[in-house]
Amino acid sequence: MSNENSRKTWAHPWSYREGTIVTVAILLLGFALQAAGGGMVLRFSGFPWNLISGIVFLGILVSCYLWLKKHRAVKWLGSVKAALPAILGFTFLVLLMGFVKQDVVHQNSLVRIFGLSHLVQTWPFILINLYLMVLLGIVTLKRLTPFTLRNFGFFLNHFGLFLVLFSTALGSSDVQTLNMNCYENKSEWRASDRRGNIVELPLAIKLLDFSIEEFRPKVTIVDNKTGKILMDKNRQSFELLDRDTFDLFEYHLEVDTFLATSGKVGESYFAVNEPGSSPSAMVKVTNSLNGTVISGWICSGSFVLQPEALKLNETYSLVMLPAEPKKFSSEVSVLTNDGTSRIVMIEVNKPFRINGWTIYQLSYNEEMGRWSDMSVLQFVRDPWLPAVYSGIFLMMAGAVFLFIFGKPKNGGVENVA
Amino acid sequence: MEELKMWLNFPVVASFAIVLWLAATGLFLFSASKLLNRLAAGLSVTGTVALLVFVIMLWISIDRPPMRTLGETRLWYAIFLSGIGLISYFRWKYKWLVCYSLTLAVMFLSVNLNHPETYDKTLMPALQSPWFVPHVIVYIFAYALLGASSLVAIRILFVKQSGKAISGPVSMADNLVYLGFSFLTLGLLFGALWAKEAWGHYWTWDPKETWAFITWMFYLVYIHYRFRNPLAHNKAMMILAASFVILLICWFGVNYLPSAQNSVHIYTE
Repeated sequence: MSNENSRKTWAHPWSYREGTIVTVAILLLGFALQAAGGGMVLRFSGFPWNLISGIVFLGILVSCYLWLKKHRAVKWLGSVKAALPAILGFTFLVLLMGFVKQDVVHQNSLVRIFGLSHLVQTWPFILINLYLMVLLGIVTLKRLTPFTLRNFGFFLNHFGLFLVLFSTALGSSDVQTLNMNCYENKSEWRASDRRGNIVELPLAIKLLDFSIEEFRPKVTIVDNKTGKILMDKNRQSFELLDRDTFDLFEYHLEVDTFLATSGKVGESYFAVNEPGSSPSAMVKVTNSLNGTVISGWICSGSFVLQPEALKLNETYSLVMLPAEPKKFSSEVSVLTNDGTSRIVMIEVNKPFRINGWTIYQLSYNEEMGRWSDMSVLQFVRDPWLPAVYSGIFLMMAGAVFLFIFGKPKNGGVENVA
Repeated sequence: MEELKMWLNFPVVASFAIVLWLAATGLFLFSASKLLNRLAAGLSVTGTVALLVFVIMLWISIDRPPMRTLGETRLWYAIFLSGIGLISYFRWKYKWLVCYSLTLAVMFLSVNLNHPETYDKTLMPALQSPWFVPHVIVYIFAYALLGASSLVAIRILFVKQSGKAISGPVSMADNLVYLGFSFLTLGLLFGALWAKEAWGHYWTWDPKETWAFITWMFYLVYIHYRFRNPLAHNKAMMILAASFVILLICWFGVNYLPSAQNSVHIYTE
């Protein structure tokens, strides 16, 4: 340590100083390349080029290590002195992402030129990732021997992270995400990608039934003139209509009748169950300040029915908000190329997997709400997923290792390069 | 009706816990007597258990995990902080840490008493998953542990001690960081697996994800720095104190960042 200050830069043994220089150089080079390219969005080439470049990268990394592991620069690449500045450099980029909103068009010319609004697809991000993978790769190889308990934990964490970075970087271009609009009782096999291109799938979907379960609607109080919801940070502005009496600000509400699906005839609502019917309630509202009582219907409305508010006084009205979905699901029949068909239920958080595709419940016709006869399904194919998951599971095991064994005794000094 | 009744009880339970925790803090600070310290530990355990029982009953009555609003997460912080303070007291006998943690827990509960928020019963379909509870609990536990480690660091920075006396608190900071970091890693990875199941992609650089990742990176820096420079205590403690700022941004600062509108991770107020 004492002779560290008098050591000339680039004289061995290299330290944090050289690590910082390399990291900053990589970032500057990245931003320069990005600016030279006019802030363009970078995309990795897909299969098989990603696989080939991955194999070449691994080949170079392993052979470099085997031939040059005694070289001081390679030793340094496998040390904390190179790793720490690299981690900080990567953190710097992620911090930029934390402040600049991603994936939207920015007016600021700096943001555009350096690609700050889509950082993960820019040169600095890709280069620093590559550098981190080199460091992680070398340090993993270095700590493979001797095979001790400590080195095993080290392997789980470092190789796990390496595998996640490696497979997500190479696999990103092979991920296919397609949306399909399915209408009840119609077969569909065409889906569209993000740019709107139509892709024909090797399987067909027939939507048998789309259904939504809703929460009870909420009620709130709005200003008659502005239409704004009455807010008071110390009180609740909304109440769920799931009980018979409750208080909202100074009003005491009693629910006389609640209809989950209803239609309006004359001045009243009746329970009906047809497209466009909406929740409604007959309520009695008592103003606890002056004792006035008002009764009437409120209705959240739909694409057929007008919403109905209950005027409480000159200033305020009681309104019912549209019910929020609790659960939505599609019952579909899936027909594959080989002629087999099966009926499955797809809902949020419960996707269905078939032939390398995962089918998600994405959306529906929100204007029609519970009466929607259309369901949007999302098809995702991610052939590199097993590699990413292997990395994730290694890291999870590594986290459990850290939890059980904690910090190395004597600060891990015996392993320091 | 049930939900309303539960929250009507909240001021009672919260005041009960606050009084017990404050009494315990006073006893810890001003008494060296073994018996009185045991009494203090007993009082704080009672406060924590009372709050835990309240949260479990709330969970049952609102029919969804109480982890959706910022107010609800404050309840969990109060439980975990007081719990971690107590466990570290039983394990290492550091009175000041348990006092800090109890004071912080009192602060969280007081905020909740002054700002009763909408305790919304609706839960969007994407959050209705078996992953919800482990993901959030593991995170909150990690934040509470890492928060405690940063308290240790700040104390070390302000209360200068001789080289020998410092190694005890520093190694406690290390232990808390290693535990907290392993939970943080699990929280991130659980989140990735859940996101794949719900949205089709394991990582979308959602602002909360980005900030959780930044937090992870800062503690990663601490771990590596400590590993390579085990004797440079002061610098390590400064890294740890700085990490706390990031942790705070990640936990509630994100809600106010312009980059974070429309995130699924924004707690509804």
